[in-house]
Parts: sequence; C-alpha cells; structure tokens
Amino acid sequence: MIGFFAPYRDYGGEWLPLLLRAMVNTAVLSVCAFALALVLGLLLSLCQRSDFQALRHFAALYVTVVRGVPLLAVLFLLYFGLPGIGIVFDAFGAAIAGLALCFAAQIAELFRAGLKAIPAGQREAALAVGLTPVQSFRLIIFPQVVRVILAPMIVTFVALLKDSSLASLITVNELVLTGRAMATEYFLPLQIYVAVGLCYFAIAWPFSVFSRRLAVPAR
Amino acid sequence: MSGFSLFLSVVNGLAAGLEVTVLVTLASLAFATGVGFLLALVRQFTAIRVVNLAIDAYCEILCNVPALTHLFILYFGLASIGVRLTSIAAAILGLGLIGAAITSSIFRAGFASLPKGQAEASLAAGLTPLQTIFEILTPQAMRIALPALGNYAVQLLKDTSVVSAIAAPEIMFFARSMVTSSFQTTMIYATAAALYLLLSLPLMQVTRFLERRYGRLKG
Repeated sequence: MIGFFAPYRDYGGEWLPLLLRAMVNTAVLSVCAFALALVLGLLLSLCQRSDFQALRHFAALYVTVVRGVPLLAVLFLLYFGLPGIGIVFDAFGAAIAGLALCFAAQIAELFRAGLKAIPAGQREAALAVGLTPVQSFRLIIFPQVVRVILAPMIVTFVALLKDSSLASLITVNELVLTGRAMATEYFLPLQIYVAVGLCYFAIAWPFSVFSRRLAVPAR
Repeated sequence: MSGFSLFLSVVNGLAAGLEVTVLVTLASLAFATGVGFLLALVRQFTAIRVVNLAIDAYCEILCNVPALTHLFILYFGLASIGVRLTSIAAAILGLGLIGAAITSSIFRAGFASLPKGQAEASLAAGLTPLQTIFEILTPQAMRIALPALGNYAVQLLKDTSVVSAIAAPEIMFFARSMVTSSFQTTMIYATAAALYLLLSLPLMQVTRFLERRYGRLKG
C-alpha cells in the first residue's frame, strides 16, 4: 500500500502542474462545447415546436440518430473523416463540434420536458392579464422552465465533461491524453491514471452535489 | 473496386467487431444490473452505516469519472502491478462497475417511489421482511425501473465504442484499423456510425415501449 503512494510523494511536484494545466484544457473544452450545445439545443427545440412539419421531422430524426450513434464515431468522422471531403477541423474545434452536436439532442429533450411541465394555464393567464406573447414567455414561462431544468442541465454538463475525455482519442491535449503522455514518461500508469480520475472527480463532483441539492422532487 | 463492392467490404470488415460489441454490451449489462440491484437492496433495506457510506462513495466516485479513465486504470494501471486483464475482460469489468453505480441509483429510485403502505400492509399480512422485499416490493420497483434501465442499455451500447481505446476488437476498433490501411476514412466511420445506429434503434424502440407502458422515472 505504501508502495502505491510513494510515487505521489516523489513525483507529485512534477505531476501537479501538468495535471492542472490539463484540467484547465478539459474545463475550457467542456464549457465551450456545453455553450454551443445549449445554442444548438435551443434551436433544435424551436424546430420541435415549429409550425413547419419538415422542421419537426428534422428535429425528431436528428434526436433519434444522435441518440443511437456513439460520440466516438462522431468525433472520428469530424476529425479524420471530413478532411477527406475538404472540411478540415483542428482537433480542439472538432471536439467542441462533436460534443455539442451530440449533447444538443439531450438538451433539446430537456427543454421540451421543461416546457411540458409548465401548465398551459400559466401562459393563458399571462396573456389574459395583458402581457404580450414575448413578455409572457420571458417573464412567466421561462423562469419556471429554468427552475425545472436546471438540475438535469447540470447533470448533462457532468456527462459532457466526462465524455470530453474521448477528445484525447483525436489528439486534444486534455486530461486523459496528458495522462497517457505522463504514463509513458514515468512508467507509473496506475498512479497516473488514478490521479487523472481524481482530477475529473474534483471538477465533476461539486456539480453533481449541487444538482442534487437543486433537484425539485418530481410533481 | 466499384463503390458498392467497396462499401460491402467495409461492412464486412466492421461486422468482424459485431460479436465483441454485443458480447461486451450484454456481459456488462448483466454485471451492472446484478451488482446494481444488490447494492440498491443493501443500501435501501439495511441500516449498517459503514456499508451504506461505502456504497454511496462507490456510486459517487464511479459516476463522476469518465469511463475511459476507468478502463485505463483497469487495463494499463493494473497491468503495471502484475494484474493482467485481457482487453475484453477489462472492458466488461470497467463498464460493468460503472453501470452498477448507475443501475443501483435507478433501482433505488424505483424502491423509493413505492408508497410506504406497500411494505406495511405486506408485513401486517404476515409476510416476512424478506418475502416483503422480494415478492411485494421488487416486482413493483422493477416495473418502475425498466424504462430507465432501457435508456441505460442504449447508452451502454454506445459506450462500448470507447473500449476500442484499450484495443478490444469491437466495431470501432476494426474501423480504426481499416482506416489505416484503406484511407476510405469518411465512408468507414460513417458506416460504423450507421452500424451502431442499427443496433441501438431496436433497443430505443423497446425503451419507448416500456416508457409508454410503465411511465418515465425521474431519477
């Protein structure tokens, strides 16, 4: 057991800055991807509620396809596949695009569930007291939707953060790839990958705890 | 080679990984539901603080660290201290251990959603506590948990693509190795994505059926 911890004492000073820098990369990647996913998810949920049947069909198809295709396949397609037809992403861009495309579907479903959770009477009452449709959405509906979906939204962010580890497989220099490079350099894969796991845990756990505290019991 | 026969040879090459993908999915699903159910039972129906704390810690840690990191710890990390797992064993164990954390919270939510009266009435009618748990509560909790388990199974099927990173010979692994020899990058990864979609569509259909039949569980 002491043997297991000894490398942390010996190399901890060298490892910490490397891991911290990688943690920042992972965090930046996740936040950028999540922001883009929010925008795409919002657009997708507008498509779902659109008056045009074609847009509704597109949204339904998109959600089904994305739910059935692994993120890794999407990342490989974007990074290795698209240059074949002339579209070139750098690794970081491909990772952001891939994560956002996949998580947009989940976020759209969240928006949908959130909107469904607000009784129709809320909107009717808002319109009846003289608010415009835009006002009633902005002042009455939206704040309630946010309260309903904030907790699952944070859970989704944690899922995205974990999945951002796949970006290492398309050469984005985040936590896992940094860990791999360190593992070949120091030849202590067990200690290094455990440390990498702890780094993820350190970012993700506070969010998980926070989301549980927020969670409104259903109904 | 004409376009179509090329496509057929790609499908053929990827199909070589089908067996391992299905094997890893089914085996880790069985492992995850088995262990997850046990954890949920112990956590829900016993009051040994140390054990319950350990189960909570287990779930927290495995839910907040990426699968890729777990797989690297099991495959590369353990090998460095002499515990050599085959890549398929590491894949099943890794995904199964994470899955156990996920399914245990699904089962617990199922048990927690049952009204207290069920257990009280069953005990009052003279059933032993064990009979109450296994004959009265479990069947009802299962029904509530099934849709969420279906969603988990879809997610798991997609997550098996990650085990290509530890060289388990599944679909994505063959896709990657074919790309290095044939350069049909776009087509190979698109076909791989389609293959996963083909596998997950029936699973999604079953899940949707379960959701309609038993309702959606928040948890």
